Amino acid sequence: MILNSLEVMFGGQAGDGSLTTGDLIAGVFKRMGLEVYTYKDFPSRIRGGHTNYVIRAGERANLGMADAVDALVAFDLEAVQAHIDEMRPGGFVVFDSTDEAIPDELRRGDVTWYEIPLAKIAKEDLGLALVRNTISLGVLGALVGMDPGIVRADVRAVYRRKGDKVVDVNLRAVDAGELYVREHFAGRPSGYGLVASDDGDRLIMMGNDAIAYGALAAGCRFMAGYPITPATDILEWMSKEMPRFGGVVVQAEDELAAITMTLGAAFTGVRAMTATSGPGQALMTEAIGLAGVLEIPVVVVECARAGPSTGMPTKTEQSNLNHLIYGGHGEIPRVVIAPGTVAESFELAVAAFNLAERWQLPVFLLTEQALCQSKATLPPFDLDAVRIDRGSLIDDGEVTFGEYKRFAFTGDGVSPRVIPGVPGGMHLAAGSEHNDAGVITENARNRSRMMEKRMHKLDAMRDELPKAVLHGVADADLAVVGYGANTGPIREAVERLANGGILTRFLQLRTLWPFPDEVIRDFVRGAQHVFVVENNYTGQLERLIRSVVGPLDALHGVRKYDGRPFRPIEIIEPIRRIAAVGEPAEII
Amino acid sequence: MAMLTAKDFATATPSWWCPGCGDYGVLSALKSALAELGKQPHEVAFVSGIGCSGKISGYLHSYAFHGVHGRALPVATAVKLANRDLTVIAAGGDGDGYAIGAGHFVHAVRRNPDITYIVMDNQTYGLTKGQSSPTSANGYVASVSPNGNPDNPINGLALALAAGASFVARGFSAQPKQLVALIKAAIEHRGFSIVEVMSPCVTYNKVNTYAWFKEHVADASAQDGYAPEDRVAAFAALVREGPIPLGILFQEQKPTFEERAGLPAQPVAHVDLHAGRAALASLQAAYR
Repeated sequence: MILNSLEVMFGGQAGDGSLTTGDLIAGVFKRMGLEVYTYKDFPSRIRGGHTNYVIRAGERANLGMADAVDALVAFDLEAVQAHIDEMRPGGFVVFDSTDEAIPDELRRGDVTWYEIPLAKIAKEDLGLALVRNTISLGVLGALVGMDPGIVRADVRAVYRRKGDKVVDVNLRAVDAGELYVREHFAGRPSGYGLVASDDGDRLIMMGNDAIAYGALAAGCRFMAGYPITPATDILEWMSKEMPRFGGVVVQAEDELAAITMTLGAAFTGVRAMTATSGPGQALMTEAIGLAGVLEIPVVVVECARAGPSTGMPTKTEQSNLNHLIYGGHGEIPRVVIAPGTVAESFELAVAAFNLAERWQLPVFLLTEQALCQSKATLPPFDLDAVRIDRGSLIDDGEVTFGEYKRFAFTGDGVSPRVIPGVPGGMHLAAGSEHNDAGVITENARNRSRMMEKRMHKLDAMRDELPKAVLHGVADADLAVVGYGANTGPIREAVERLANGGILTRFLQLRTLWPFPDEVIRDFVRGAQHVFVVENNYTGQLERLIRSVVGPLDALHGVRKYDGRPFRPIEIIEPIRRIAAVGEPAEII
Repeated sequence: MAMLTAKDFATATPSWWCPGCGDYGVLSALKSALAELGKQPHEVAFVSGIGCSGKISGYLHSYAFHGVHGRALPVATAVKLANRDLTVIAAGGDGDGYAIGAGHFVHAVRRNPDITYIVMDNQTYGLTKGQSSPTSANGYVASVSPNGNPDNPINGLALALAAGASFVARGFSAQPKQLVALIKAAIEHRGFSIVEVMSPCVTYNKVNTYAWFKEHVADASAQDGYAPEDRVAAFAALVREGPIPLGILFQEQKPTFEERAGLPAQPVAHVDLHAGRAALASLQAAYR
């Protein structure tokens, strides 16, 4: 029996309630003391279309997807057709057999089949077709050993606001699912088991919520945004929570307005942010340049999805890196930082605001659909570690007009920043090139000095940027570089390779721009092979690395661009094959 | 602080505008209006667009923001939301407001933030040397419409009315007394106020000249029984064939965006950034 390691996939049609049940399952796993990671693979529509919700539970934190699905709960044949090949040998399928039957060609012999007329039981025994999902929760719980008390407590909590009747019918649905398994499958164990332990003091949270919460804790009091998948959660969270802290949220008419509003609020002295995804990011490009030249601190959260154009709005990708680093006409200092976990999403959101204000420039907080819309278990955030550093800001008192120069040349490129309302600080903030006092000028010498002043910030700030994290064995011959949502799968791959005797070192980059040249050079030194793991076709990170390490034959791209996150085996196998070490890995 | 004069709102920066440009009249009226209202330069945030008219922010002694083309209104809206104590004014040309910025224009109007928007309408693109603009007449001959402008002009003020504007006025840069009064009324209006100013381009627009405007404008109040609180009448005055109406064409009081968004009385820019440990901890507890 496999204990405490389970990946459940809930598959059906969008809008049939599987997201609610998926969240319920994730919550139950968490309360049973397990570590959880969820992944929503849903279509870009509201009703209909195949959707699935993956919930992985295990004993190890900071998970991503497993190699394969252990338990497929399929509400229709389409879900079986779409995912039967992703199943781990020895896994099992719960299938709603009310209206459809499994054809022989799909009936894999190495998985166990539990065919149950879920919809029929819901309708005929419980009188409510909607509770089919909850019956399947009871079935799953009985098959893998979910704690019946916790299941019931969570069902009550989730449906409480819908009234006693709804709670009651859902509880009876759980009973019905459990009973069906006892009566029909007593002799066919699933092969999986869960052992409850103490939940402890932990959270279960989605990346986007951690970013929004981090921004609020960091003192963000203005957000303008335009709804876009997968970034909308942040706008929604802020709309709900920020006003009672004295902040304001605007649903802008488009991303051009969202970013220029963010600039306007930041210019006026409010910690301000926007959040978007690829298409919106493209529209914001011109104004980001303005933020750079006006030295306005703004935080832009980029929740990356599969592009180009509309691409696949609900799927993950890392194809925006070039755009964030190079996008725009002219040259500005900018920062790109990327969290690798939900916990880091909070920490780096706080860091983003401090960096933006300390260095008076735009900061991109880069995340991806596979992290920002995924939930994970984690320890509570350390609120005492949150520091608000506003840098060189003059927001009260007064300054002497004529002496005060908004864009004064300084050693580190940062000039004291006055905000509107402060007597004496009147000046022009112009996107046109300007002198230290803000007066527009095309003087050649001034232009060179201003470029140098602004761009110098990137060098001066290096020590304050989020540091890369080294995982694995520091002096291993095999080296891996990656960032963002791939952190979980890469860490798991590194650990499993080590279990098989293959040692690797993994550098998780958290600052992608200014590019950590020295850190990369130090890291690859002495490596026999360097693997760059990323979710794009052209190898955007690999090219950045090549630009600083010089000719290196043993630099290999491990890339995926089908819109889905890496499963660990997809990292393990290329490394093993190219480095010609070890035996094919076991599917986990 | 002492009452200031129009001169106190001047900067030392020499103007880039051509001699005789209508924009001088707008700048001069704006400075007078601010002085007469008893404003101080540090209390004024002035956001301009791009183009000849957008240069105006360099010439008004204030907190001035000269950003990207067409986006003056979102910037100005956010400045007001960030600090409701400021007097926030946006200005730009017909191209900036009605072409590249048209999307923001209608949305700024419908939000009704307490800001003033001055559109300096010269019916041409001046800074790019004389192309048709969204307010150029059909048939207007210009460098990219040598056979005459095929487009029909946009009616910015009618558009503002349709979007629910709470203050709509039009002035003429050669009638300074009226223009000062209009800008003052606009700034004092609580909500979004637009003042469209006929501001002739003496270099590229040889059709809509000072002389042409003098023949074609007429005070709306000259019309019998004109009542600026009637949105339908204002709309009729704006779309009817005949003289170009000047004056306050429409005004009503309704809640501002700041009020409806529930902004604190204190400027957001001065809110304590520390949310407090207890409040933050309770937010976190919802994720246990």
